[in-house]
Amino acid sequence: MKTSKKKHILIVNQSAPYSSSNAKESLDIALAAGAFEQSVAILFIGDGCYQLLSNQSPKQTHSKNISQMLKVLPVYGIDKLYVDEQSLSNRNIEQLDENLTLTKVSQHEIQALYKEATTVFRF
Amino acid sequence: MIFSILVLGAPFNSQSAYSAFRFTQAALASGQTIYRVFFYQEGIHNSSSLATPPQDEFDLYQAWQDLKEQYQLDFVTCIAAAARRGLLNESEAKRHNKSASNIASQFDLAGLGQLVEASAMSDQVITFGH
Repeated sequence: MKTSKKKHILIVNQSAPYSSSNAKESLDIALAAGAFEQSVAILFIGDGCYQLLSNQSPKQTHSKNISQMLKVLPVYGIDKLYVDEQSLSNRNIEQLDENLTLTKVSQHEIQALYKEATTVFRF
Repeated sequence: MIFSILVLGAPFNSQSAYSAFRFTQAALASGQTIYRVFFYQEGIHNSSSLATPPQDEFDLYQAWQDLKEQYQLDFVTCIAAAARRGLLNESEAKRHNKSASNIASQFDLAGLGQLVEASAMSDQVITFGH
């Protein structure tokens, strides 16, 4: 039997925050991976960028605030948060939640993220 | 090669659950190792013990259970994803004070740590769904 080794997990988040359970349920994987001391990076791409907007008020639809939950990730050792700059400009998103520490990445840098990853979970 | 399989789709909703089954079956038939099959999001519905497809249709639920028995596989259904969608085993039903349970005995209920552990123990994690 092979022994366990540390993996580079990339979680690709391409879903809008409240249109499905993807945002919440992919966050749960990130937290579990962080708890197991795996290396975790999260990439927000496509409609996943909408998770990063400030002033989300999902209370009216009885949802939990996704950007609030994203803020706690560094506490769990997950501080590699990336966002596709092309997706942002396609959607005219200029202002992201300033409480989140995000790195904007180009298509080229996204390729590098995929290359570095040993496991990719896409939501 | 050591594979783990992540199933995110429910039977009938898309082809992903059936494709996951076929891939797992083919990998085992060709001598590969399946470390774990993990059922998450809508994929948890594959572990229902009550689903009863028409008799002239392929029964994917039964097929998973048979595959598990044949190869002594490790099937894990995410406990939180299952509970929020109404799938409970006996002890969970008791714990949540519900009147019935509906998860087939071939599926263990556990947390996402089992998915992370599977990824650490496998060469490849193959996702079916989305």
